Amino acid sequence: MRRLEAIRKLAVGWSHELVVATTGMISRELYVVRDRPENFYMCGSMGCALPIGMGLALARPDRKVVVLDGDGAALMSLGSLALARYLRLANLEHIILDNGTYASTGNQPTCSAVVNFKDIGFNVRVVRVEPGNEPDTPRIPYDPLEMRRRFEAATRRPA
Amino acid sequence: MTPGAESARAVHTSAVGLYEHFRRQGYDFFVGVPCSGLTPFINDLGADISMTFLPAPREDVALAMAAGAAMGGRKPLVYLQSSGLGHLVNPITSLLKPYGLAVHLLISLRRQPFEHAFMHKITGRLLELLEYDDYTLLEERQCDV
Repeated sequence: MRRLEAIRKLAVGWSHELVVATTGMISRELYVVRDRPENFYMCGSMGCALPIGMGLALARPDRKVVVLDGDGAALMSLGSLALARYLRLANLEHIILDNGTYASTGNQPTCSAVVNFKDIGFNVRVVRVEPGNEPDTPRIPYDPLEMRRRFEAATRRPA
Repeated sequence: MTPGAESARAVHTSAVGLYEHFRRQGYDFFVGVPCSGLTPFINDLGADISMTFLPAPREDVALAMAAGAAMGGRKPLVYLQSSGLGHLVNPITSLLKPYGLAVHLLISLRRQPFEHAFMHKITGRLLELLEYDDYTLLEERQCDV
């Protein structure tokens, strides 16, 4: 399955979920298939999507938080998967789109093939996707400050 | 004044009472990586049953958790020793700065042994270069680890 289709299938099921999407094409494809105020597009700080999601899930135990990660980003901060398993936050789901590559930078290989993310993290769902990127995927047009404020307002609305 | 401390918002020489100090200022989310110099602060945090103790595996994980908590309405503080400041360069430059998120850093400034000396020399300048002034420095007196 193409990554865009995998994201579309996941996103169609979201209603009030707060979604933290990792940097690169995963955020951009999420923006294309289903932009919503409950999405936080983390452009930059690769590896930080899961810890942002953990902080958010701790601060807002009444809200379901979904982290939309990639295999390269998850590998970059494997320690945060261990902390997630230690904390066992029931309102946090960690989805890893695994194509075995750093697709956003040109499909260079990652070492995800030898790692079982589900054995390290908590509430991990690994979705295997094809390497590669969709052509002409736009950059996220929002000002980062405005996008963050829109997301914060969404976290404050009752679910 | 120490070489690392020129631009500090506040400099403390003891971690005794620091936890209560920050609680009184409204901080309600604490995460970090330990330093022996912070022992009283971390012990007080651990003794506070209203707080979940969060053993972050690395400083960037702590800072990103604090950023997520801030977006969820909390007032977060990240504690670390100066040796871990390098791990914060990425999340400060590409997360806190562009998205305008505020996280207070409590940095235990190590001087000894030798492996801390260079970071001790540049800590103040590194924070200045990062245009980051939301921090407190804890000056070393007797740290063993």
